[in-house]
Amino acid sequence: MTTTAPSATTAPAEKAAPAARPRSTRRGARRRELGAASVLMTPFFALLVTVFLIPVGTAVWLSFFSQDEPGLGFGPEHTVFVGLRSYAAVLTDPTFLGGLGTVALYCLIYIPLMVIGSLGLALLLDSGVVRLRSWAQLALFLPHAVPGIIAALIWLYLYTPGLSPIIELFAKGDITIDFLGVHTVLPAIVNISLWSNLGYNMVVFYAALQAVPREVIEASVVDGAGPVRSALQVKTPLVRPSIVMVAIFTLIWALQLFTEPKLLSLATPMISQRYSPSMYIYDAAFTRNNYGMAAAASVVLLVVTIALSYGVTRWTNRADSPEENAR
Amino acid sequence: MPGRQSRRSVLAAVAALPLTGVLNACSDGAERSSSTSSTSKSRTTTITFWSALRGSKEVVDEFNKTHDRIKVVYQQIPSGDQGGYAKLSNAARAGNAPDVATIEYPQVPTFAIDGVARDITSLVSDGLRAKLLPQALGLTTFDKRVFAVPLDVEPMVMHYRTDLFEKYGLQLPRTWEEFEETAKKVRSKGGGRKLALFPTDGASSMAAFAWQAGGQWFDTSSGAWNVSMSDTPSRRAAAYWQRLYDQGLVFMNPLNTKQGDAQITNGQFLVRLTGAWEAGAQMRAQPGQKGKWKIAPLPQWDPAHPALGTQGGSTFAITKDCRHPEAAMEFIEWQVSSPDSLRARLTSGASSQYPAVPALVAPGRAAFDRSYYSGQDIYTLFDEEAHKIRDGWVWGPRMSATNSVLQDGFARVSAGQGSLTDALRAAQQGTMPDLKALGLSVSEHSK
Repeated sequence: MTTTAPSATTAPAEKAAPAARPRSTRRGARRRELGAASVLMTPFFALLVTVFLIPVGTAVWLSFFSQDEPGLGFGPEHTVFVGLRSYAAVLTDPTFLGGLGTVALYCLIYIPLMVIGSLGLALLLDSGVVRLRSWAQLALFLPHAVPGIIAALIWLYLYTPGLSPIIELFAKGDITIDFLGVHTVLPAIVNISLWSNLGYNMVVFYAALQAVPREVIEASVVDGAGPVRSALQVKTPLVRPSIVMVAIFTLIWALQLFTEPKLLSLATPMISQRYSPSMYIYDAAFTRNNYGMAAAASVVLLVVTIALSYGVTRWTNRADSPEENAR
Repeated sequence: MPGRQSRRSVLAAVAALPLTGVLNACSDGAERSSSTSSTSKSRTTTITFWSALRGSKEVVDEFNKTHDRIKVVYQQIPSGDQGGYAKLSNAARAGNAPDVATIEYPQVPTFAIDGVARDITSLVSDGLRAKLLPQALGLTTFDKRVFAVPLDVEPMVMHYRTDLFEKYGLQLPRTWEEFEETAKKVRSKGGGRKLALFPTDGASSMAAFAWQAGGQWFDTSSGAWNVSMSDTPSRRAAAYWQRLYDQGLVFMNPLNTKQGDAQITNGQFLVRLTGAWEAGAQMRAQPGQKGKWKIAPLPQWDPAHPALGTQGGSTFAITKDCRHPEAAMEFIEWQVSSPDSLRARLTSGASSQYPAVPALVAPGRAAFDRSYYSGQDIYTLFDEEAHKIRDGWVWGPRMSATNSVLQDGFARVSAGQGSLTDALRAAQQGTMPDLKALGLSVSEHSK
C-alpha cells in the first residue's frame, strides 16, 4: 500500500563546481552534471510514479467514484461522483474502527518490545559479553531471511492445537495453552513479528554502535562507568537517530499488518476477515466487491500512516532540540 | 500415524492455496479460447458451465449425450466460500465469466447488483415458471426481475441418530420446547454427548432459525433495502439457542473443521439441523454410519402454524458475458426440470437435493438409494416440509460479508464474549456501511 521512498538519493545531486574555470566550460560542466543527474535519477522517478503515485492516484479516484444504480441496485450501472460517501461509510463502520483499534493495540505492544529488544541485543553484542559474536548475529538475523508468509506458516504449525509440539509439551506438564484464543491471539501475532524482524533491527543498531567513536567509550570507562552504565548513558544517546528510524519503519510496517493475521485466520475464528485495516481493505475489495470502500479505507490508512510518521518525527525533533541547546 | 498424516495434509493444503488459484486462472484462459474456436468450426453452440455442486459432471455428461446442438463444457470450481465466488467475480471483471454459473440463494442479490448475473426475466418461459415452487422463484426475483433459476430448495430438517435416540429412550421433539427437554435428557444420560451443535460457522443456520421464527432480515417491499437482523422473531431464536448453550445443552464450535468432522464420526451430537441436501453429503462423508441416521421434521415454535426456513440450495444464473443466452437457458431449464438430469445427479451417490420443481419429486424418490436411511422415504418427507417454507424471505445485497461478520460474533460467543443477539446486532452494524457505500437506498429497523 504505502511505500517509503528513499529520500537519500536526491541528496548528492548538486555539488559546487570549481570556481576558477572559464565561464563556457563551467556552463558545459553544469549541463553535463545535470544530464548525469537526470539519467541517474530517472529510474527512481519512474518507479516512484509507477508503483506509488499512480496507485495512490487511482485509489483516491476510486474512493470518490462509484458504479451506482438507484434504489435497490438492480438497474443498469452508472459511474458517478459520490464525494465523501465511501469515506463516511468506512469511518462509520464499526468493523473498520475495530480493526484500527486492534492495530493500535498491536503497535503499543509490538513497537516498544521491538525497539527495546533489538537495541538491547545490539548493546549486548557490542559490549563483547557475547561469545561467538558473528554466529549470534547470524542466528538472530536468519529469521529475517524467511519470507513473512513462510514465517506465519511455521508459527501457524506451532500454534495449532493437535499439531504443535509446544502445546503437546505444555500439556504433558498439565498446562493447557491456547495460542489462538480470544486474548492470546494478538500476542501470538506480536511474537511472529518479533521473531521475523528483531534480528534485522538489531543489525541496524549494531552498525550504528560500531560508528560510535571508541575514544568516547574509553573516556567513559576512565571516568568509572561500568559496562551497563556506558551502554545506557553513553552509547544509547549516541545512536538516537537510528532508534528514531527503526521506530518509524517499524510503525509503518506495523500499521500494514496483514500477512500474519490473514494466515492465522485459517486456523482460528478469533481473527475475523476484517481484523486489521489492511485485511479490511482486502475483504472490501475481494469479498465484498466494494472497490470504492476499499479505496477509501486505503486512503484513510495512508493518511493515518503519514500523520503518525510525521508526528513521530516532529516529536523526536522537538525532544532533540532542547538537548542540543543545552550542550 | 493419522496425526502425522493430518499434520502434513494441513500444511500442504495451506501451502497449496495460492498456487491452485494461479493454476486455475491459467487453465481457464486456455479452456475458454479452445471452446470458442470449436464453436466457430462446428455448428454446435458451446456453453461453459461452472459449478461446485456434487453430481454436476454426471448431469453435464447426460446433457451432452442427449443434445446435439448445444455442448456444455463443465468446469468444477471450489464452493462459493472456498473461493468460488471470488473466482466468478474476478472472471466477470476480466470479461470472461462462464455462460452459466452456480450461485447459492444468499449470493444471488450480490451478483445481480454487481451485474454479473443478467436479468433473465424474458428468457424464463411460462412453462418453466409454472413448474417451479413459487417460494423458490421468489428468492431469485428482485424488483420483479428474475436473476437466477432455482435448482433445489432445501427446507431445514432434523437429521438424527436413530441408534442413540433408542439407546437413551428419546422421543422425537416436535416443538422447540420439547427439543430443550430432550437436550436436558441427553445431557444427563449421554456421557459427554449433547443433543445438537450450534455451528459458529453456520450463519446460514441462524438465518434459517430466524426465518422459521418469522424474522425478516432484509426487506425490499418499500423500494429500499430495509435491514432488521435483530427483529423480535430473530431475537427469540437467538435467545433460545443462547439459553441452550448457557445450560450446556448444545455444543458451540465450528462445524466445517476437523473438530466438527470428529464430533460427527464419534457421535458427539445426536441431531444435525441442516437442509435436505445434507443427506447426500452425509452418505458420502460417513459411509460407516449407514443405517444409523434418519430424518425428521424440524421442531416448530407453534405446531398449529408450522413454518420453515431453508438452509442451502443453489440456483443457476446466466452471466453478462454469455453470448448465447437462449442456449444457456435451454441447458438450465433442462437441468432444473428434467427427470434425466435429477436421476443423473442422484446416481452420483452424493446428492439428495430436493428439486425446486415439485414434479421431479416422484422421479427423485424413485432414483434415490434409500439404503443409507434404512429405507426411509426421505423425499416424501422433504416434500411435506418444503411446503412449510415461509414465503417472503429476502437475502441481503452482501450476504457473504454479513454472514462473515455474524460468524465473527458467534466465535466470540463461543469464547465467552457477548451473546448471539449481540452477534446479530453487530452483523447489522457491519452490513450497513457496506450497503451505503454501494449507493443503495437503505433503511434500518430493529423491532
